[in-house]
Amino acid sequence: MELTDEMKAAIGKSGEPTTYEVTSLGIRTFCRAVGYEDGIYFDDEEAKKAGHKSIIAPPGYLGMPVWNPNGPARRADFFKSPFTRNLNGGTAVEPLEHVYAGDVLEAVTTLTSVEILPSKAYGQLMVRKTETAYKRQSDGKVVAKTRGTSLSY
Amino acid sequence: MAISAQTFDGVSEGQEFTLEEATDSQRLVIWAAASGDFYQIHYDDKFASNNKLPDIIVHGALKGMWVGKILDQIAGRDGWVKEWDVAYRAMDIAREPITVFAKVTGKREENGEKLVDFEVGTRKADGSVTTPGTGTVRLP
Repeated sequence: MELTDEMKAAIGKSGEPTTYEVTSLGIRTFCRAVGYEDGIYFDDEEAKKAGHKSIIAPPGYLGMPVWNPNGPARRADFFKSPFTRNLNGGTAVEPLEHVYAGDVLEAVTTLTSVEILPSKAYGQLMVRKTETAYKRQSDGKVVAKTRGTSLSY
Repeated sequence: MAISAQTFDGVSEGQEFTLEEATDSQRLVIWAAASGDFYQIHYDDKFASNNKLPDIIVHGALKGMWVGKILDQIAGRDGWVKEWDVAYRAMDIAREPITVFAKVTGKREENGEKLVDFEVGTRKADGSVTTPGTGTVRLP
């Protein structure tokens, strides 16, 4: 199949904002999983000695979406996809500002490209690229951007 | 063991930094809690087996964040991780060690910043790279 008009029209569109909470528990759990050893990421005193107001999030940690089982779907599709199986193709992270425990971020994802490519393994592969900007509610600063590639077949 | 913070003048093209990471099931469960990715192929042996996998598999995003960590250690408190990207090219079976690497590919000064570019990724014991990418760090 080829790109539909709906798919082409979706390129450049942004989804609804999603709220992410950055908590000290979330940062410490992330540190424990990834294996961070620098105290500025989990020890308040160490972080303050280094000039920070609280522990900071390691690069790439941008909190967790606020869980609400009665809210809208977290990731609304930009268009109806004919493919049912999805793979995470890759991730890019661009940290722009320190992120602190207690920050609340508003994330907005924009669809930047869609392609349907021939695939030896799957016949056809849909490649969707997105960019998400994370803005801190308290000062309006964009603290990080991430770019994602999702593959559907 | 952590890598010590580097300086712009102290690193040279071709130099490679590495970290060894364990991929036991406990670690994958902690990552599931940290990331909110509770897909069972990462911690449920029976679920993985029913999906024709030889064992539970390592989360791709965890591998991506290990790359972020190695760059952060190179940057230290006085540097800054400008960006990194990874592609998830192949699965890594859990309970096998993974080597995370960052190899210097270039040094440049741009807008007053001393930047070092890296080839990054995760490597299996057989030497194959399952999560290739690039990264850039500002160093003092």
